Amino acid sequence: MVRNIVILGGNSHPELVDNVCNNLGIAPGERILTKFSSGESRCEIKDSVRGKDVYIIQSAADSVNDGFIDLCIMVSACKTGSAKRVTAVMPLFPYSRQPDVPYKKAGAPLSKASHPTKNGYTFESVPGTPHPGITRTQSLGPDINGLDTKLARTKLAENGVNGTTCNKADGPQTPSGAERRNAPSGSSAFNYTTHDYQNHSLLANFKSKPGYKQWVAQAGTLVADLLTCAGADHHVLTECRMDLHDPQYQGFFDVPVDNLYGKPLLKRYIQQHIPNYKEAVVISPDAGGAKRATAVADELDMDFALIHKERRPTKYSEMRNASMMLVGDVRDRVCILIDDLIDTGNTITRAAKLLKKEGATAIYALVTHGILSGDAIPRINASAIDKLIVTNTVPQLEHKRLCTKLVTLDVSPVFAEAIRRVHHGESISVLFQFN
Amino acid sequence: MSREMANEIKLLSGSSHPDLSAQVAGRLGIEIARTVSLNYSNQETSVTIGESVRDEDVYILQSAATGDVNEGLMEMLIMIHACKTASARRITAVIPCFPYARQDKKDRSRAPISARLIANMIQTAGANHIITMDLHASQIQGFFSVPCDNLYAEPSVLRWIRENRNVEQVVIVSPDAGGAKRATSIADRLNASFALIHKERPRPNVVGRMVLIGEVRDKVAILVDDMADTCGTLDKAAGLLRDANAKEILAIATHGILSGNAIETINNSSLSALVVTNTVPLGDKVSRCPKLQVIDVSGTLAEAIRRTHNGESVSYLFTHVPV
Repeated sequence: MVRNIVILGGNSHPELVDNVCNNLGIAPGERILTKFSSGESRCEIKDSVRGKDVYIIQSAADSVNDGFIDLCIMVSACKTGSAKRVTAVMPLFPYSRQPDVPYKKAGAPLSKASHPTKNGYTFESVPGTPHPGITRTQSLGPDINGLDTKLARTKLAENGVNGTTCNKADGPQTPSGAERRNAPSGSSAFNYTTHDYQNHSLLANFKSKPGYKQWVAQAGTLVADLLTCAGADHHVLTECRMDLHDPQYQGFFDVPVDNLYGKPLLKRYIQQHIPNYKEAVVISPDAGGAKRATAVADELDMDFALIHKERRPTKYSEMRNASMMLVGDVRDRVCILIDDLIDTGNTITRAAKLLKKEGATAIYALVTHGILSGDAIPRINASAIDKLIVTNTVPQLEHKRLCTKLVTLDVSPVFAEAIRRVHHGESISVLFQFN
Repeated sequence: MSREMANEIKLLSGSSHPDLSAQVAGRLGIEIARTVSLNYSNQETSVTIGESVRDEDVYILQSAATGDVNEGLMEMLIMIHACKTASARRITAVIPCFPYARQDKKDRSRAPISARLIANMIQTAGANHIITMDLHASQIQGFFSVPCDNLYAEPSVLRWIRENRNVEQVVIVSPDAGGAKRATSIADRLNASFALIHKERPRPNVVGRMVLIGEVRDKVAILVDDMADTCGTLDKAAGLLRDANAKEILAIATHGILSGNAIETINNSSLSALVVTNTVPLGDKVSRCPKLQVIDVSGTLAEAIRRTHNGESVSYLFTHVPV
């Protein structure tokens, strides 16, 4: 039982709110949170918040934008209602995942004409320097624009045009079209870990101004700023996500941020539910997540392997089509893939396929945030993953119904404990280590 | 050539109201800047910018589309932020229909002042200037610490009345006390008489008892309001005016939000016409409601953009419709 505290929940994840409140032994604060018929959010806080310590729990599920604006409105309502402190508790931070910008390794995108085979090109013809007004030739297109390439490729796959370059080493094709690795235009097939768009056709038809390299706006800092300006600005910390996709996120806020980790939960699952886990191998599906995975491997004294995503096209077609390289040995071992976020499930299902090919006996995937949007569920169901373990930072009931491989871990005790500690001014760091 | 191109008007269009953007761009004689907004499969909004805005005078036009207010809002905020990080010289948010304008005061305990929140968010995102139209409460201008031009649809409305009805017979009716100022202003400029309906509103979107103050017998009663949302008020007011033996009853509202059952309500009401401006996308509502007529305000918006860009006075537009 904690006094002088009000827990409010957004609409995105009522179960988590109830669970957290149960853990704290208090009832969730009463509020009205609906929509006017015009589409504007309507919010009324029923319980008094004057002088109270207010925690607002809102995840980023379903309609992210609605949820985020709702959260801002609730924060500002509590602030104008003289709350002593307002803390936004976000199990999953919206817009934390923005696509990797399709820049090349070297940085700035120079438009080198790398396809001299195009008709009309002689040794004398010089590719124009990009500047406003110059019309872009066809052959410059894919090089200037990685995004175009990628989308053109997915579109091609969608239309069912199966490229002839498809390789035997690719193994059995998964049902998803976007996952095929056809390389229709030779060297221009880069693999970028962008989100899947709902409506790519729009972007495929989109042409930027000649000479200008189109780019995708990064909303990360904006979201942090907006939340601060809504009034979560006082000495308030924003309990961000269980795992920030980029740890740099904490630097975006002008207010204290406490970042909880899903690692202890995942670790405990490994210890309790995976037989002979000491014999298993922890795998990071990409180099970016290596730190996360090695931390788990070290603490549990397990072996570690890494999947390296090959982005440079190499001369050997097998390497290119496989595009993922396993660094380490997994033959006849149980594999445990560890990642922070699974959205459309592209990366992890591809990784699982590779592991299976390399001789893994069983594949567990342990992921903190199971967003599972788009066609993620059918993809997981058809993949080589034997068990997918996610936490309930976003609602998982519906996912669970559709996917028998899914196991969910409850994070509400972690959040309840964090809220209790923040409220009493105790240290949070203990939560980072407990076993 | 490229030097001359610098610091031009760049009009970016949000996805909520492409028609209005196209009309404004047409009147300015420019092309809409190349941007595209998409949703990721996890419902986050992604904005792709396809041309340089460095050192340009950027105008971002986004209205509050009925039903998708929050989506439109986030999209606009992301666009503003994107232009800011892309070194635009000045960013002006052109918001013909300001979202959450009705939540402008703390009318109950712990009610959010959402309009102020939205104002803060727009500034936080990086807007240097706001152009809007017929704010529900003009005090909202004070929520901004950057310049906020509140344009009026009134000149366009006056012109419509003069062109379509006999001004001699017109009586301007305000459907509530709050709109009395707006209605008297129109009545004065038309030299027409004025009436007022007093109403009690127990809850939002619900209308209580109403009383008519003024004479409308055998006159053309024109209800004037800043927005027509569910149209419950207008319907009741029209019924009241019919009982008071008005010859014809029509309604003019700046923002035709027309949510919920508005179209059915209007079709079944005693209104002979509902006139709205095109600040809000109307979609197929015009075809579903034969009584609905639309005034184009893109001229006013375009002229405001042009004048703001050139550093000319905007106040002319408060009383005149640009040619």
